[in-house]
Amino acid sequence: MADIDPRTETADEQAPGSQTTGSQPADAQTADEQTDRETTGRSIWLDNVTKRYPGQKRPAVNGVTLEIPDGQVVMLVGPSGCGKTTTLKMINRLIEPTEGRIVLGGEDVTSIDGDELRRRIGYVIQAGGLFPHMTVAQNIALVPKMLRWDKARIAARVEELLDLVGLDPDVYRSRYPKELSGGQQQRVGVARALAADPPVLLMDEPFGAVDPITRQRLQDELIRIQHEVHKTMVIVTHDFDEAVKLGDWIVVFREGAQIVQYDTPERILAEPADEFVENFIGSGAALKQLGLRRVREVEAADAVVAKAGANAAEALRRAEAAGHDHVVVVDERGRPIAWPSRRALSRMTRLPAQLDPAMPLVGSGATLNDALDTMLVSSAGATLVTGRSGVFEGVVDVETIMDAISSAREAAAERSDDAPVGTNTGAVAAVPAASDEQRPANPGDAAVGPVSDD
Amino acid sequence: MTEATTASGTGTTTESVRGWRALGIQILVLLAILFGFGIWVANAPLSPTERNTLNLSTILELTGQHLALTIVATVIVLVIAIPLGILLTRGPFRKIAEPVLAIANFGQAAPAVGLIVLLFMLVPDGFRASIIALVLYAILPVLRNTMIGIRGVDQRLVEAGRGMGMTAASVLLRVELPLAVPVMLSGIRTALVLLVGTASLAAFVSGGGLGLLITTGVNLYLFSVLISGALLIAVLALIVDWVGRVVEHVARPKGL
Amino acid sequence: MELGEFVRSRSSEILFAALQHLSLVAQSLILATVIAVLLAALVHRSQTLRGVANAVSAIGLTIPSFALIGLMVAPFGFGVTPAVVVVVFFAALPILRNAIVGLAGVDPALIESARGLGMSRLGIFLRVELPLAWPVILSGVRISAQMVMGVAAVAAYVLGPGLGGFIFQGLSRLGGSGAIESVVTGTVGVILLALILDLLLLGIGRLTTSKGIRG
Repeated sequence: MADIDPRTETADEQAPGSQTTGSQPADAQTADEQTDRETTGRSIWLDNVTKRYPGQKRPAVNGVTLEIPDGQVVMLVGPSGCGKTTTLKMINRLIEPTEGRIVLGGEDVTSIDGDELRRRIGYVIQAGGLFPHMTVAQNIALVPKMLRWDKARIAARVEELLDLVGLDPDVYRSRYPKELSGGQQQRVGVARALAADPPVLLMDEPFGAVDPITRQRLQDELIRIQHEVHKTMVIVTHDFDEAVKLGDWIVVFREGAQIVQYDTPERILAEPADEFVENFIGSGAALKQLGLRRVREVEAADAVVAKAGANAAEALRRAEAAGHDHVVVVDERGRPIAWPSRRALSRMTRLPAQLDPAMPLVGSGATLNDALDTMLVSSAGATLVTGRSGVFEGVVDVETIMDAISSAREAAAERSDDAPVGTNTGAVAAVPAASDEQRPANPGDAAVGPVSDD
Repeated sequence: MTEATTASGTGTTTESVRGWRALGIQILVLLAILFGFGIWVANAPLSPTERNTLNLSTILELTGQHLALTIVATVIVLVIAIPLGILLTRGPFRKIAEPVLAIANFGQAAPAVGLIVLLFMLVPDGFRASIIALVLYAILPVLRNTMIGIRGVDQRLVEAGRGMGMTAASVLLRVELPLAVPVMLSGIRTALVLLVGTASLAAFVSGGGLGLLITTGVNLYLFSVLISGALLIAVLALIVDWVGRVVEHVARPKGL
Repeated sequence: MELGEFVRSRSSEILFAALQHLSLVAQSLILATVIAVLLAALVHRSQTLRGVANAVSAIGLTIPSFALIGLMVAPFGFGVTPAVVVVVFFAALPILRNAIVGLAGVDPALIESARGLGMSRLGIFLRVELPLAWPVILSGVRISAQMVMGVAAVAAYVLGPGLGGFIFQGLSRLGGSGAIESVVTGTVGVILLALILDLLLLGIGRLTTSKGIRG
């Protein structure tokens, strides 16, 4: 790491209670997890569920057995008409299964009152499905009202939820859906689904109707929200990249809701079960893996660091001694300003104090994909990495990234027994407990790393 | 009542077949009702006064008068409303289109009975007074649908026509009007049905028509006559509606 | 006799008839709206039933009001009853048609969304479908109101209440003094009432339509 101590300059920001969990080292992360809200999600267990429509020979969904672990995000992907949406809608029984059982957190909910069940499960559809004749607040308050919460509690909850989804309550509370952008409508849709704090959230192509930039932003937002609420989420999408980005687990379906593969994004990318999955992933599986991993997860190399305005010759000497080609110039707070080469140094007396805008730079929360992109743009073959408050942390080069990918492939290959159950055979003896000790609390963490909102 | 008919849709072939079948059923039912009515009149124990009114020649005569009122009024309505409707979609007149429609709407709120009786006081000839009242009453649906139909034509088609070097008049005749025909026809059918119903009020001002059976029935407490009149008017209206639908079905431009 | 004098000398009678006319129409409209919306609620989910209801509405509107009034005299005799029956019948038809259009026009995604929130069928109808279809239903009510104003005038012929009476009084005293004034009073009165009721309905529409779906 850098040979300056960031604490001296940024002590105030290191105060206990400051968040941004993601950029802290792993041990701090686990500590943070404990202070965080408990996993509020519940596991879901589809037991040999079949849906047949009258007059159709083949069932739309055929004997699906699917375990959704609590507090995890499970993505259902597959081509259109493959039965993924039908499967999703059978969880809250918007579509009644013809055969099979649905178990929610250990309770068989196959034959309880459907409306009552759905009040316990959040549901988000494309474009939010907001009721245009109700204000944002009225939309969010619907389920709490049905559950007969008192007014003050509902108002407080609406406020809290709007905050959670990043909308200022004072501005948006009494707006009507038509006065919101598509992305804002979708946020309100998520807020409405979370209103009664349901343990489970189902989403049907939630971000299908917004433009790519908004979609990306909403996805990031959802990752952040999930980090706060720890719900069990089941999300249907036809966009494999979205599945990779959001999912702890991905279920790949083919026609008739045949489960082809149920695994972590890493493993699906590294070891697609068959040609169908391979085709579905599309080209550039390796590149997509880059999007899964964050810069902070790879080991950054040290660099020679010097303060702005310091003696150039002295810095050059240190670089030569360390065998480095470049010197990282930082300001008094430890933030990188320039990255001159030895040859450049030899022509200066004092190190530059001006920020070099062309310098390759990524935050430690950026994906490896971003890092590689930065390198390519700057044609440096490496990039500086900064941590909290833009403090310099180290250097990452192309080789580090290559190594990271191959190690990820190996890691992905190793973790094969943890996967939740997902089959079409039906008969599975017991419900594998979601709290299986073998399984990490959050399997995504190992590979995806803590999610941060830098 | 006037918006009842604007929704007759575009048709695929199966829809068209279904349309024909529905039309066939409609006319068969109506003919059956007429047939039943005929049998009832022939066999019912009617008093001599009733028998006097409810005979074939009287009924035919009244029906003829009724149709005459309807048809004459319709022709006049078409002659006035269609050119006016076209005019109101042309350049400088577009601005006054809305006020004209508003006035026409307002006129529609006038009770037809009042209109007929008033006109009879001004024009002491029952037939003519009725015709004027009927025309005033039925202009709106035709006028409005003519305008809606022409306005509904895709402006790109109009531009394409002009771009090909067609004159404004030939664009109107060869592009706009043909495409507006379905909407216009449905307006005309609405007007026709409206006219058949309203023409029954002509009986109040001795303008003739089947309404006479109702007024006679009420005045002389002859329920059989009253009901016969009501039934015949209703069936006539439905038959006229049927004819209108058949025409619409046939005249719908191919490819729409 | 001139019109002003006619109106002045019989102002209380005119006012009474106008109120009766308005009350007949307004009450019939309320009844018709309830009936039509209930019917529409029952049929709008099935395409076949929708077709049947629309056909009934179209055929019903084809029947001349004067003919139906005549027909209703047979079972109900003369007076208020046949007038109410006929006015309600005609009022219900455009409302039924619009209610079906309105309810069928509610985005299925919203209904699914409501079900996903755990709303009951009745809850969905009352709190999602009806409010969303309401502007369309209300425009049907306005069409009905305008139409049945005239129907109610004709109903005076079978001794129904309201302003139509002035028209038939004038007709029966044709050429006599005050005949024209009487007919003008009846006719203009109905037009004015229609305008007043339309404005009223417009106001009701403003008050009862959510800002979120107002054009």
